[in-house]
Amino acid sequence: MEDRNRENLGELFGKFFDAEQVDSCLKDLQEAERIFRDNPAPEPDDMLIANIKAEIAMRLPARRVQLARQRTYKRVAVAAAIVVIAGLVVTILNDGKPAPGRLEVASLIPTAIWESNDIEADDENLAALAAEIEQIENEVMTLESGRDTGDSDRTIEELEIELIVVSSDFWKE
Amino acid sequence: MAKSDDLAGIIAGCKQGEAQCFSQVVDRYSGRCYGYFYRLTGNNDISDELLSELFVKFVEKIGSYKGGSFEGWLFKIASNIFHDHLRSKQRRKKLLETQKTLLESEVIEFRQSDGEQIDRLQKQLGRLDRDTKELITLRFYSQLSFKEIAQVRSEPIGTTLAKMHRGLKKLRLLMEG
Repeated sequence: MEDRNRENLGELFGKFFDAEQVDSCLKDLQEAERIFRDNPAPEPDDMLIANIKAEIAMRLPARRVQLARQRTYKRVAVAAAIVVIAGLVVTILNDGKPAPGRLEVASLIPTAIWESNDIEADDENLAALAAEIEQIENEVMTLESGRDTGDSDRTIEELEIELIVVSSDFWKE
Repeated sequence: MAKSDDLAGIIAGCKQGEAQCFSQVVDRYSGRCYGYFYRLTGNNDISDELLSELFVKFVEKIGSYKGGSFEGWLFKIASNIFHDHLRSKQRRKKLLETQKTLLESEVIEFRQSDGEQIDRLQKQLGRLDRDTKELITLRFYSQLSFKEIAQVRSEPIGTTLAKMHRGLKKLRLLMEG
C-alpha cells in the first residue's frame, strides 16, 4: 500500500488534469487540510472509550472459543485429507499387482499342518474329512465317466447334501 | 517505520485475542474514527453508537485482516457501518411516515441534540452532497492515500480525484462565503 505521506500529489493529479487544474487541486487540498485542522471534530468521551474497552473484554472469551473451534476444525480437516491421500497412495501403489487370491487366504492355516504329508496322523478330524472328500471325488469321477447306472439327478442331490454336511462339519471343528 | 512495526505487533496481539492490544487499537484510532463519524452524521449520540459498533466489528473481523493498509481496512469497516446506519435510518423513516407518529422528528437527517453547537465546517460540509462529504471526510480522518481511498470506495482513482477536486473547490468557496 502507498503511504499517504509519500504520495506524489502533483504527479498523481497530473495524470488526470492539466497543469492549471493540478495547481488548483493542490491549493484546494492544502486549504481543506487547514480548515479541518482549524475546526477539529469533538473527541469521543472517556466514558465511551471505557465502555468500548469493557465490551471488547466481554467479547474476547467467546472469540477465543470460536478461534479454538476453528483450529480444531482445521486440524480435523487436515487429518481427514491425510487419511484420504494415504488411501489413494496405497491404491495407486497396489495398482497392477495381482489381487489377493486363495493362496493368501490359505496361508492363514498353520504352515505345519498345511505342508504336512501325513495329515491323517496329525488330526483325526482332518483324516475323516479327507476320506469323505476322497469318496466324493470318486463319486464325481463315476458321474463324469458315465458309469453310474442309477438316477443321476438323485446322485447330484446327494452329492450336494454331502458337500454341505462336509462344509458344516469342517467349520464346526 | 518503528511505528508500523509497533502496529504490526499490536495487530498480531489482537489476532491472539490479547485484550491489551485491542485497547491500544482503541486508543490509537478512536479519535480519528469518531471524527469521521461525527463529520458524516453531525450527531454525538449517533457517533457514539457507530464508534462502539466499529470496535465490536473490529473484534469480530480481525481474523480476516490479511495485511496491507490497516487504516484502509479499518475505515472500510467504518464506511460500511455508516452506510448500514443510513439504510436503517431510511427504513425507520419510511416506517414512521406510514405510521404518522410524533416520533418522526427523531429521524430528521443530521439534526443536532439539544444544546449541541454546530461548527462552521460541519455546517458547510452539510451543504455538500453525501458522497462528496464522505470522500472528503474519509481523506482527512483516515489519513489514507488517494490510491487507498479509491480501493476502499471500490472506484477508479481518476473518479476519486475528480470528485475530490470538485468537492474541495466547493467546500473552499462555502467556507469563504
